[in-house]
Amino acid sequence: MSEPLLQVRDLDVRYGDAQALWDVAIEVHEGETVCVVGPNGAGKSTLVNAVAGIHPAHRGRISVGGVDVTRLRGHRVCGHGVAIVPEGRRIFPRMTVLDNLVLGAYRKGARREHRASLAGVYEIFPRLAERAGQLAGSLSGGEQQMVAVGRALMAQPRLLLLDEPSLGLAPVRVDEVYDAIVRINERGVSVVVVEQDVERALAIAGRAYLLGEGRVVLAGPADALRDSDDVRRSVLGL
Amino acid sequence: MNVIQATLTGVLIGGLYALMAAGLSVTWGVLRIINLAHFGLILIGAYLTFQIATSWHLDPVLTLVITVPAMFIAGAAIQWLFDRLRLTEFNSLLVSFGLLIIIIQVTSNIWSADFRRMSAGTNPYATQSVAIGRLVFPVTTLLAFGLAALVVLAAHLVLRRTFAGRAMRAIAQDRAVAGAFGVDHRRLSVLLGGVVGATAALAGMVFSLSNALTPDTAYEWFGTVFAVVILGGIGEVVGTFAAGILVGVLSGVVSAVWSPAAAPFVLFSAIILALLLRPQGLFAVGGVR
Repeated sequence: MSEPLLQVRDLDVRYGDAQALWDVAIEVHEGETVCVVGPNGAGKSTLVNAVAGIHPAHRGRISVGGVDVTRLRGHRVCGHGVAIVPEGRRIFPRMTVLDNLVLGAYRKGARREHRASLAGVYEIFPRLAERAGQLAGSLSGGEQQMVAVGRALMAQPRLLLLDEPSLGLAPVRVDEVYDAIVRINERGVSVVVVEQDVERALAIAGRAYLLGEGRVVLAGPADALRDSDDVRRSVLGL
Repeated sequence: MNVIQATLTGVLIGGLYALMAAGLSVTWGVLRIINLAHFGLILIGAYLTFQIATSWHLDPVLTLVITVPAMFIAGAAIQWLFDRLRLTEFNSLLVSFGLLIIIIQVTSNIWSADFRRMSAGTNPYATQSVAIGRLVFPVTTLLAFGLAALVVLAAHLVLRRTFAGRAMRAIAQDRAVAGAFGVDHRRLSVLLGGVVGATAALAGMVFSLSNALTPDTAYEWFGTVFAVVILGGIGEVVGTFAAGILVGVLSGVVSAVWSPAAAPFVLFSAIILALLLRPQGLFAVGGVR
């Protein structure tokens, strides 16, 4: 098999004295959708934040497309094709929808083609074109999530990280967001979804990782994880 | 007639307040740094204008060719230093106040604590004015207002329309996420520090045209300029301009119809009232924060 697009090995992450991840290893191949599930506090968000360069790694190695990005300063990671939809969306509330999206194309490689990217985002989320001039903070939760996903797409990522995209959304809005994720993946973008809504994430993923207390507990095909006792116990509470 | 003259003069003087306040406001809004050293840079800008114009017999406005790049570098260097120190909003107040005291001390060592003013021969603007009917406008205040309007308009357009401007607003709202999209916070803060330094050169030049300089002048700016920043809304360039005009008019009119001594009393009462009613700033409509 070819080299994975994302390879995380022996990753330790700390917040001061508190360690959040121990020896975490995951891989994502070109074109895959991978989901990371686990209970609250398992370290799921920490993992994607470390990959996106928002939080530094303490030990271990993160490589994207064969390039070691572990020690890069945060703003350089996106240049290697990583974009994140952070937990709680974290759009820029006092900027317009359009400005939020255009900011997504800030990195050098994406800037020149930002008009084409914008057309692509509006194709997936037509509602954002209608709302372009509004302040992003004035939108509904579902629309804000579209802004967050659209902003990430503007960076023209090879790897899209989504942290709890269903959080706080009405079920029908969750459907819309997940439909969009599938369509984005079909366009050739590899996807990592971190979710508490396990059923939902496993349904679109090829492979999955179960995190527990900062370690990878289980890894395998999504179907196998769905039926595993560990997942049922630790996340679904069955 | 008196009141009309006072109002219009107030509008024009408000331009100078806005020019002094704009840089402070944007640095505060975008970088969360309350840079009191900005007053020091304005002071140096004023003294440099005085010195260069006097010794080289240069038109004071032309001294900008030297002072703007010099103050750009100074502003950028200060911001670079602040960034290395990893200052919080409150610490920045303390550190930059220390820096301001140093700057004032150095200025008084170089230029002494006596009043310095450009001679009439060096500074042709001081004695010129434009008369419209019975209303008279000194050229110096017209220049201040024009420059302020230009700076505010340029800053507004840059913040709205350019990648760097959007990045600065994004930093103000969520620095970590802006970083994840490639925004290099350190580089932009040094750039912003430089541009703000350049506006200090403009403000200093304009101030030196119509005023005698003494190092303590920097402290006298505090009250009015902070009032303008807070009324305008932190980080709001257009709001700062509007607030500058409001403060200028209020002081001008109160001085004319009542007494100059009453101006600060009325001004700061109005500010307290404004903060009670609109704590985010009177003119806050969607700036950087």
